[in-house]
Amino acid sequence: MQVDNLELAQVEAVQSGSGGLAVEVSGLVKHFGERQVLHGLDLSIPAGEFVAIVGRSGCGKSTLLRQLAGLDTLSGGAIGFDGKARDTLGDQVRIMYQEARLLPWRTVIQNVALGLPGSRAQVRARAEEALAQVGLADRAEEWPSRLSGGQRQRVALARALIHRPRLLLLDEPLGALDALTRIEMQRLIEQIWRQHAFTALLVTHDVAEAVALADRILLIEEGRITFDEPVGLPRPREHGEACFAALESRVLKRLMTVEALNPRNQLRGRVTEIIIDKVLSEVVVMTPAGVVSAAVPTSALSEFPLELGTDVLAVFKSNDVVLATAD
Amino acid sequence: MTSPIAALRNGAKGLLPWVVPIAILVVWELSAIFGWLSTRILPEPLAVLKAGWTLALSGELWTHIRVSAGRALAGFAIGGGLGLVLGLLTGSFRKVEVALDTTLQMIRNIPPLALIPLVILWFGIDEVAKLFLISFGVFFAVYINTFHGIRSVDPALIEMGRSYGLSGWPLYREVILPGALASILVGVRYALGFMWVILIVAETISAQAGIGYMTMNAREFLQTDVVLLGILLYALLGKLADVAARLLERRWLRWNGAYNAA
Repeated sequence: MQVDNLELAQVEAVQSGSGGLAVEVSGLVKHFGERQVLHGLDLSIPAGEFVAIVGRSGCGKSTLLRQLAGLDTLSGGAIGFDGKARDTLGDQVRIMYQEARLLPWRTVIQNVALGLPGSRAQVRARAEEALAQVGLADRAEEWPSRLSGGQRQRVALARALIHRPRLLLLDEPLGALDALTRIEMQRLIEQIWRQHAFTALLVTHDVAEAVALADRILLIEEGRITFDEPVGLPRPREHGEACFAALESRVLKRLMTVEALNPRNQLRGRVTEIIIDKVLSEVVVMTPAGVVSAAVPTSALSEFPLELGTDVLAVFKSNDVVLATAD
Repeated sequence: MTSPIAALRNGAKGLLPWVVPIAILVVWELSAIFGWLSTRILPEPLAVLKAGWTLALSGELWTHIRVSAGRALAGFAIGGGLGLVLGLLTGSFRKVEVALDTTLQMIRNIPPLALIPLVILWFGIDEVAKLFLISFGVFFAVYINTFHGIRSVDPALIEMGRSYGLSGWPLYREVILPGALASILVGVRYALGFMWVILIVAETISAQAGIGYMTMNAREFLQTDVVLLGILLYALLGKLADVAARLLERRWLRWNGAYNAA
C-alpha cells in the first residue's frame, strides 16, 4: 500500500516535469590549497533516490555536497545531472544547511518566498502553500527570531521546497535539534520527499537518521566512498524495530572500524588509571606520545567496562584539536 | 489589567531618570536665592527661563534655532550622504576600496577643527565654511560604519542568497543592505552627536545668526543667562537628534530583539 502510493506520487511528479535528478559524479577531486579533501570520488544516484552519507567530520562529505550545490569550484572530475553538465541544471538544486540561515530582517513568509520570481500574489500564494506543508501557516508574519530551532529549519525546508527542486541537498540540517524535534523533522522530510519525489542527498553524523530516511547509505572516508549499502526496510520506519537496530549497529560498527584504521588523530596506549565519578569519569591512558586523559560519561563506562592495562585507541576529532604556540 | 499600584510603580520608573537633574536644579536655584552663587558666574535657573521666554516672545530665539538647525542638517545631509555612498562603494567593491580607502583613512585622522584656518582661507567666514566643517566632521562617522557594516554581513547569509538565485541588486537589497543597516545607523547616531559639536565651534568663528552667534553676543554683554540658554539649547537639540536616530533604529531594526521595545 505504501509502496503503491509512493510509485503513484513519483509517476505524477515525473509527468509534471518535477521528478528527481539523476546524479553522476566521476573522479571528483577537491583541494583546499595543499590539502586534498576529495580523492577521485565516484558516485551515481538514480533519479528520486534518497541517499545518506555518513562519515567523521572532515572526511569530505560536506565538501561533496557543496560541490553538488555549485558553491565551490571543482579541482578535477565532473558532475552530471540527468546526463548534462551540472551548470545547465544548477537552478534545480537547493541546499539546506545545518543552520537555517534565515534572513532575520525578513518575516517568515518573506524568507520562504526569497528569490522566487512571479507576481506578488502568485509568490505569496505559493509561499503560503509551502509554509502549510511544513505546518507553519500560522507563523507567516513573525520574525524568525521568534521561532524555535526546529521551526526555523521547517521554514528553511519550505524555502527550499518552494523552488520545486529536483535535487535537495541536506547538509546535516537536523544536527542542532533536540531528539524529539529531530524525529519529527525526519518524518516531515520523508513525507515531503515521498510527495515530491525529488532526489535527496543527506549528510549526517547520526547513523540512526541515515537508517530512518535513506534508500542507501554511503560512508565517505579519506575523500572516497568506502561503504555503500542499500537499506531494504519498508517505510515508514520505526526506530525501535529489530531490523532497524540491526542495520544501525552494522553501519556504526563499520564506521568504528574505519575510524580505527585511520592513522590520523589517534594515539595507541594502555589504560593506567580510571577515576569514576557520578556523571563524568576520567580514564588516563599512557601513550608513546605522553599521558592522555579522557573524559568519558560514566554511563558509557558501565555499558562498555574498561580495565586497567587494556590497550585502547585515543581518537580525536580533527576539528576538536586546538593548536597553541609553545610559549 | 494593571493594578493601580503597578501603574504607580511604572510611573515612578519613568520618573527615576529625572530625579537627579531635578535635584540639581533645585539645589542650584536655592544657592542662587541664598546668594551662595554669584549671577556673574552662574545665573539662577529661573533667570535662564525668563531670558528664554523674552527671546521666544520677540521671535529672535526661533530665528537662531532655525538658522542653526538648518546649518546642522544641511551639513549632515551633505557629509552623511557622501559618507554613505562612498562607504557602500568601498564596502561592496574591492577595487574601489583599494583605490580610495587608504586616502580616506589618512584624511580621517585630521581633526576637523585643525582645518579651521585653511577653511577660512578657502571659503572665508561665510556659510560655506560652516557647511564644509560640519560635512567633513560627519562624513567619516557614517563612512566608516557603513564600510564596516557592509563588510561584516554574515557570509553564510550571502552564500545562501546566491544559492537561492539572488545576485546583483536583489542580493544587495535583500541581504547585504539590511545586514549592514544596524552598523550604518550606529554611524548616523554618532554623526548626529558630532554634528552639534562642530556646529558650535563653526558658529563661534563668525556668524550673523544662530545659537552660537546668540551666545557669543551675550558674552560681550555679560548676559550669562542667555549664554546658559544657548548651551541648554545645544543640549536639547542634541538630545532631539539622538531621539530621532533611535526612532529610526526602532523602525528599521524592529526584527532585531535588541531594538524591540515590546
